[in-house]
Amino acid sequence: MKDLLLYLLPIVILFIGGFTLMLVDAFQKEEGGLAVPTAMLHFAAAAAALALWPYAGNAADLARAQVAFNGWLAFDRTTLFLDITIALGGGLATLLAGSYLNEHKLERGEYYTLITFASAGCMMLAGATDLIMVFIGLETLSLGVYALTGFRRTSARSQEGALKYFLLGSFAAALLLYGSALLYGMTGHTDLAGIRDALSRAVEMPQIAGQDGAAQFVAVQQTVRDRVTILAMVLIVAGLAFKVGAVPFHMWTPDAYEGAPTPATAYMAVTVKAAAFGAMLRVLIGVFGDTTGSASLAGGWPGLLVWLAVLSMLVGNLVALAQSNVKRMLAYSSIAHGGYILAAFVVAPRAEPMPGGGGSIGQGAAAAVLFYLLAYTVSNVGAFGALILAGRRGKEAVSYEDLAGLGKRHPAVALALSFFVLSLAGMPPTVGFFAKYNVIRSAVEAGYSWLALAVVINSAMGVYYYLRVMVKMYMHDPQPGAVRAEPMDSPATSLTLIAAAFMVLVLGMMPQRFYGYALEAVKLAAAPVAAAPADAPAAAAAEAGNPR
Amino acid sequence: MEPTQAAAAPTHLLSVLVWLPAIAGIFILFLPRQTPGLLRAVALGVGLFEFGKSLQLLIGSDYARGFRFVENVEWIPSLGIRYHLGVDGLSLWLVVLTTFLTPLVLYVSFGSIKARQKEYIASMLLLQSAMIGAFVALDLFLFYVFWELMLVPMYLIIGVFGGPNRVYAAVKFFIYTFAGSIFMLVAIVYMVVTFKELDPSHRYSFDYLDLMRLGFPRWTELALFGAFAVSFAIKVPMFPLHTWLPDAHTEAPTGGSMILAAVMLKLGTYGFMRFAMPFFPGASHMVGPTIAGLACAGILYGAAVAWRQKDFKKLVAYSSVSHLGFVMLGIIARTPQATTGAVLQSINHGISTGALFLLVGVIYDRRHTRDLGEFGGLAKVMPMYATFFILVTMSSIGLPFTNGFVGEFLVITGTFTADLLRIPYHVERSSGPSFVGMGPLYASLAALGVLFGAIYMLEAVQKVFWGPINNPKNRKLKDLNERELIGLIPLAILILWIGLRPQDFTKSIEPDVQGWIDQYEQKRQAVTRPSAQRPWMLSESDIRPPPRRQPRADAR
Repeated sequence: MKDLLLYLLPIVILFIGGFTLMLVDAFQKEEGGLAVPTAMLHFAAAAAALALWPYAGNAADLARAQVAFNGWLAFDRTTLFLDITIALGGGLATLLAGSYLNEHKLERGEYYTLITFASAGCMMLAGATDLIMVFIGLETLSLGVYALTGFRRTSARSQEGALKYFLLGSFAAALLLYGSALLYGMTGHTDLAGIRDALSRAVEMPQIAGQDGAAQFVAVQQTVRDRVTILAMVLIVAGLAFKVGAVPFHMWTPDAYEGAPTPATAYMAVTVKAAAFGAMLRVLIGVFGDTTGSASLAGGWPGLLVWLAVLSMLVGNLVALAQSNVKRMLAYSSIAHGGYILAAFVVAPRAEPMPGGGGSIGQGAAAAVLFYLLAYTVSNVGAFGALILAGRRGKEAVSYEDLAGLGKRHPAVALALSFFVLSLAGMPPTVGFFAKYNVIRSAVEAGYSWLALAVVINSAMGVYYYLRVMVKMYMHDPQPGAVRAEPMDSPATSLTLIAAAFMVLVLGMMPQRFYGYALEAVKLAAAPVAAAPADAPAAAAAEAGNPR
Repeated sequence: MEPTQAAAAPTHLLSVLVWLPAIAGIFILFLPRQTPGLLRAVALGVGLFEFGKSLQLLIGSDYARGFRFVENVEWIPSLGIRYHLGVDGLSLWLVVLTTFLTPLVLYVSFGSIKARQKEYIASMLLLQSAMIGAFVALDLFLFYVFWELMLVPMYLIIGVFGGPNRVYAAVKFFIYTFAGSIFMLVAIVYMVVTFKELDPSHRYSFDYLDLMRLGFPRWTELALFGAFAVSFAIKVPMFPLHTWLPDAHTEAPTGGSMILAAVMLKLGTYGFMRFAMPFFPGASHMVGPTIAGLACAGILYGAAVAWRQKDFKKLVAYSSVSHLGFVMLGIIARTPQATTGAVLQSINHGISTGALFLLVGVIYDRRHTRDLGEFGGLAKVMPMYATFFILVTMSSIGLPFTNGFVGEFLVITGTFTADLLRIPYHVERSSGPSFVGMGPLYASLAALGVLFGAIYMLEAVQKVFWGPINNPKNRKLKDLNERELIGLIPLAILILWIGLRPQDFTKSIEPDVQGWIDQYEQKRQAVTRPSAQRPWMLSESDIRPPPRRQPRADAR
């Protein structure tokens, strides 16, 4: 129990905090004032994850954690890295919420409870090593996020977004569940390691061995299992691709992002994506990462993800070009960013070692995914935060027109927003450039030069609409008579922006340390996976020795 | 090229040159807007200090070879990214040109930019940092960072302080250049990954000298060269990728146009010299005749279009396209004369086109029009202005005793003997066909461009300065004021100085140009391997030419 609490500290903090918040909210007389405590909870969770970092490098601790978690959750640096990203994104987004909800008369305590539980769900999803846990994590975070999307109860858009998100999300969850059930049926396991082992073995000879047609029977069985495994894999990918908003599972994204209150948009744009990509990393690489075994057909998922990646980049960018609403633009651009991350993802199962050591090509790619998530988190929260700061109630900054002349009216906000959009566009020396560079490098390293080209061509497309933000802010004056967005003064939001801008620049100019963390994170976590081809025969032999 | 004369003591001169303007620019953003005097003083002080500092680069650079003032420390070790700076004869004068022009441009702009001066100054200083950084970076990651960083301040300068159609021009400028440079990014990454594969130590490296040692099979080399060449050709800009330039120039404020023409375009030609050609000598030799042809086309096309312009600034912009054609031709010709001429001509173009934009800005400030038809007989009302204008025109069309003559003359004579396009002309049964180089053809085309240049510039001068004053608005124009004079005099001095004593400048360019050509030829021999299927690593002797006797001052 003690072990469990220790190794699960970030999630435990959030859960206990969430319950406390609920109580406090129920007993306090006035609404409000919960934003800062909630943000502190998130930062405490991030600090806990950071404190656990050395433990995750220690074999004894890893073993104890494995016993404590009983194969449900992983205690490793990938989880911790994702936990830090989620907690950071969640904390910053909560800080934004405080003043926003006050300003827009939405201040109700359940917002913070929902966000805290959703963060805990994100962390569970990011660390899940069992399909049941994946589902529980997914639902925990989804329920919170659905409610947050519909949080503007009087707004039809908000309701529409929430309903769409909920209906499509339930459908996606059902797909995921169906895939999990199929996998369980084929292997008898729900834990990822068990599934991987079972799939890496050939179908066992049944009792009728020796009789006529037995070999044929086994062959048919094998074919059935392979086919069903592929189906299961596709269903699971579809379920998770829905959560990251990859094309063609992106339909909910713009409506939900536009309808949700802006801080909630910032929250779900970053944390849900981080968690779902984490789960994808674990499921796809952990279960189907072995492209040589008998499940090699299902190991062909990179070919599937390539299309998701290219489509996401292309559709996300093309549609973002046509938007007049900045929030919607950011929604579509987040789809494009999902595409860039998927481009690195495609390379992540490549187990061939890099020449001269330093891990495998796939590990470099997985580190690129993790680093991109971090970069995307700080840039995106910052961009939404700047939008929040730029508008007051009734004078919100949502369209490009609202931003006109912001460079004169509020140079500080304009400068911050410029940093964030430049980072999202991938301009050096911001963190967005370095993140994109890593993606390109991974793709080139694995021989996917054309995918790297697709990434850069899409970035060039993206520059156009990101620049439009700057064009409006600096080069246009507001239309006479138009309702002007007025910046509000909120120390918490300003602080958040300063922190995010600082990270965007520092991570961009000195990425060494955090990229190093990302590399460490995948090296340890991916070690058993990378060794899977070598281990598989041994494991199979061991299994053959003592049949179940 | 080879570090034969490595700097003895560690020096941070280049770092100061690169970072000081950026720091000053950020500092200025925090100064109060109400004290424009203070803003200007800080900006000018920093600019002049930079110029003074950059003159230190000239010390000991006569007849020197190899990179000097090298700084080389780790930046992101796990990815092989280093902070590697150095300057040699190819970049030396471009750095000095940048530090020379920036304070001058700032000083001149104080007269015309009244609103949001703070942002203007900060953008200019940031731009200076990025440009110097790109000139001295010897690590490709660092270079790429500076190369992209340059876009944002220039974009703001055009888009915020420019003319009526500024937003369109700024966005076009940004997207065009960005779209070009991302292909270079992929090519750089490909090279870095290849280096890691081939190098015995299996490390990433973005280092210029490391990546120099890569040899590629023919088609790979062509593709990589293409990626680099497109991004540089857009910046130059080479015909037919020049279409962003007239818009950007027309809409940019005077100072922005000056910096854009004088320094930023040089990054394109510099990129060809520093990166695209030495990295891929086989491919660049193969497509050399095409590039030279495009350069000639640019010379003639730019001149022809400039001739038909009614807008004074567009005329100067198209003349830039024409002049940059000479620079490209000189680089691709790769004879010591032509290439030295090209480097010198890129400085000359910076000075004379900078001056032309300044002069156009002067009448624009007075009349708020740049339509050539609006003027006439200005020599009577603005004698000083006319004098300077005609001097700069002389330089621009390349009359003797001005800088333009030296540069264009060197390029054309050098191109004559260039090994550009060889065609068989006489087949002997015993020894096979003999070849004749088509250098003279290119040289003649370029010479035709000089003629065209004289036509359009002189016609413009005639329209503006001679004849009767038909337009009553022109009767009371004020002649140059103090600020404009102070801006123009240094430029005029340089025009004459380079025209009369070019050796003061060429002596620090020539040795490195010679080294550059030797290395290029040496590497070209080594990479011409028709059978190669995979990239390979060149040996040190493949890229290091045999030492040449150093030219001495007394040998002249």
